[in-house]
Amino acid sequence: MAGQAVLSVLREDGVVQGQEPEIAPDTLLHAYRTMVLTRHLDERAMRLQRAGRIGFTVPNKGVEAVQIGSAAALRSSDWIFPSYRDFGMALYHGVPVEQMLHGMFCNGLDNSRGRQMPVHYSFADPIRFVSISSPIGTHIPQAVGAARAAQQRGEDTAFLTSFGDGGTSSLGFHSGLVFAGVWKSPVIFLCQNNGWAISCPADKQTGSDGFAVKGEGYGVPGVQVDGNDFLAMYSAVRTAVARARSGGGPTLIEAITMRMGGHSSSDDPTKYVPAAMLESWAKKDPIVRFEKYLRRRGLLDDAQAQAALAAAEAQVAAAVEAAEKAPLPATETIFSDVYAEVPPSLRKQGRDYFEMMSRHGEAAAGDGAFPL
Amino acid sequence: MVFEFKLPDIGEGIAEGEIVKWLVKVGDAVREDQAVVEVMTDKATVEIPAPRAGRILELKAAEGATVPIGTVIFTLEEGAGAAAAPSAAPAAPKAEAPKQAAPAAKAPAAPAAPARDAVITPSAPAAPMKAAPVSASGKVLAVPSARAAARELGVDLQQVPGSGRHGLVRKQDVQAFAERGPAAPVAAPAASAPRSFAPVQIERTTSETRVPFRGVRKKIAEAMTRSKYTATHFTVVEEVDVTQLLALREKAKALGAEQGIKVTLTPFFMRAAASALQLYPQLNSMLDEAAQEIVTYGHVNLGIATDTPQGLIVPVVRDVPSKGLLQLSAELQDLAERTRGGKIKPEELKGSTFTITNAGAIGGILATPIINFPEVAIMGVHRVMDRPAIVDGELVERKFMNFSLSVDHRLVDGADGCRFLVHVKRLLEEPGLLAL
Repeated sequence: MAGQAVLSVLREDGVVQGQEPEIAPDTLLHAYRTMVLTRHLDERAMRLQRAGRIGFTVPNKGVEAVQIGSAAALRSSDWIFPSYRDFGMALYHGVPVEQMLHGMFCNGLDNSRGRQMPVHYSFADPIRFVSISSPIGTHIPQAVGAARAAQQRGEDTAFLTSFGDGGTSSLGFHSGLVFAGVWKSPVIFLCQNNGWAISCPADKQTGSDGFAVKGEGYGVPGVQVDGNDFLAMYSAVRTAVARARSGGGPTLIEAITMRMGGHSSSDDPTKYVPAAMLESWAKKDPIVRFEKYLRRRGLLDDAQAQAALAAAEAQVAAAVEAAEKAPLPATETIFSDVYAEVPPSLRKQGRDYFEMMSRHGEAAAGDGAFPL
Repeated sequence: MVFEFKLPDIGEGIAEGEIVKWLVKVGDAVREDQAVVEVMTDKATVEIPAPRAGRILELKAAEGATVPIGTVIFTLEEGAGAAAAPSAAPAAPKAEAPKQAAPAAKAPAAPAAPARDAVITPSAPAAPMKAAPVSASGKVLAVPSARAAARELGVDLQQVPGSGRHGLVRKQDVQAFAERGPAAPVAAPAASAPRSFAPVQIERTTSETRVPFRGVRKKIAEAMTRSKYTATHFTVVEEVDVTQLLALREKAKALGAEQGIKVTLTPFFMRAAASALQLYPQLNSMLDEAAQEIVTYGHVNLGIATDTPQGLIVPVVRDVPSKGLLQLSAELQDLAERTRGGKIKPEELKGSTFTITNAGAIGGILATPIINFPEVAIMGVHRVMDRPAIVDGELVERKFMNFSLSVDHRLVDGADGCRFLVHVKRLLEEPGLLAL
């Protein structure tokens, strides 16, 4: 890998210095608005968490270009096996903010009725966004398996799986790349090297020169990309997707970026992230850089930028209000959500349970409040 | 409306947080999401925002204070003079318009989903839900957290007025009840009490402390009440010349010291009582009320009432007749230390057949001990006194102690109680007989 340049298109001042990909202006603006919405949702979620209104959230600031740049290179019929922070990818493809807030508030309108850990979303539509799982790297071989199935059916669907620098040390990473390399599966392995696996710095994560080089041993081409550069991310993923669809096999993309917040709402990054490091990365902010590019091209002005933020705030505010008011999952869903058709034994258990609850006068007070 | 802000668990299972710095003052208007206070937990120091807009009424925790999760740390008057902006983001003022229009347009979407009750009612019979606060089984209607709080605070749920639907008792009801006590005398008697009175109204004063009546104190109270109002106490007193006993104890003390054993008077009293119990086993008995049988024990296990910082505790020494004075001394020493240190095992507090209470070390010439129910007799040992006495026709100075014996007159006749105490007196006045 040494010697091969990191793919980059935009300078920090928004001037194009590399190969500019061809993207329709509407798509660029949609990407920009999604990045603004992603960041605002992230900030709002953290305040909701700090005020005790939701239990948990996962900071996302700083990695918007990785997510939105990748998502923009995918079709809605493609599949995403996401990492912890990738909700921006789902927003890009039109998943409503409200749906995410239902998940944060763990209410009855959440896709998994509040039973998943908060922010561990899954969406079947409009893009296949497979349930986020907390265990590290377990979803990587799942993506390869799904891609293998599509291969066998002769589909040209692409499968993007995303993980962190820490994820490359997992068994799932090894298994996934072994099989995808052998089968030439249509997978894009997106390693988001955001500098930190919780508090473990990337330079303690591996002895190799970066993470993209790891693909070589599996016969998977690797490429390093400036993760704070929307255009570079889009270009890299588009190239990988084209290879995947055409039977050329998988690609390992290392997006070099920086997680500007904590690992989660339970983490205090000031205990381990050097302030100088944050400062230098703040200058590379992906949204600021992309905005400068759009302004240079005359695609964005002050009014549009303000409207984008205002729209994001309005959308999120409305979603918070709706999600906070939404009912908790009904108790009977404990029984009704297990099987497509509730077997008689479970039905009886359910009836007994409700009788007991009402006998004890606890039906109204405790229902729905079962633990995660 | 006043909104109480409880310190949330901001880090997956933290227990408490330290108030580092207040970012607002009483009277300040705050926006929704505006940072109000900086809190340090064992995981992180974070700014906590207001969940709603309003005016700060009260800051209830001082900077530097550590407060448990769930504590109300500030209150605010909702809506009072608060700006509507939900975000601190640097949005231009004109951003307000779409922001406020959108929630109004979207809000109706939420209630369309089935409410919890609506979903539950079809599968549950409706009638029992509307029942009185006490269910058919006699159980008070209360949510589980209220039951837990009641146990913890020693509150009788029957007395707590419920504020929930159908009089359902909620956790806050229990807490409020524990704080202010019953609003009015409640007639409901505790099942085990033999008679019940309305609680006497105790006026609050400016110089008093109040602690919850619970734990060991409450257990002692229950046991004493039961004994006093069940066993028909009869007390007899005897004075015992312990001059020789004290001399013997000095010798035993020296012998014990060689083996690292502290010899007190109590093992002598135990030997004497054990001997008397073997002679008068009706005092080593209990009444099995359920079976309507009098149980008389072949073994003698002596409870030794012990004064501890937690109150009266009665550890048990087993098979006393088979043990010598030094062994009893050693066991007593060990039990007393562990009892006072709170390290006694529950099984070591059970199984006594007779109890000795020794308040004499503290003072008092006489007492009428309360029986350690369901035992039927208890012996009290009182202070050593210098007294003039006639011995062989001569007036001499002697050491005396009073011994009291309370028996349950239902099972033990007064005469047998007297005989027991006379035997104890005989052994202790001629302590050589204790060796028999």
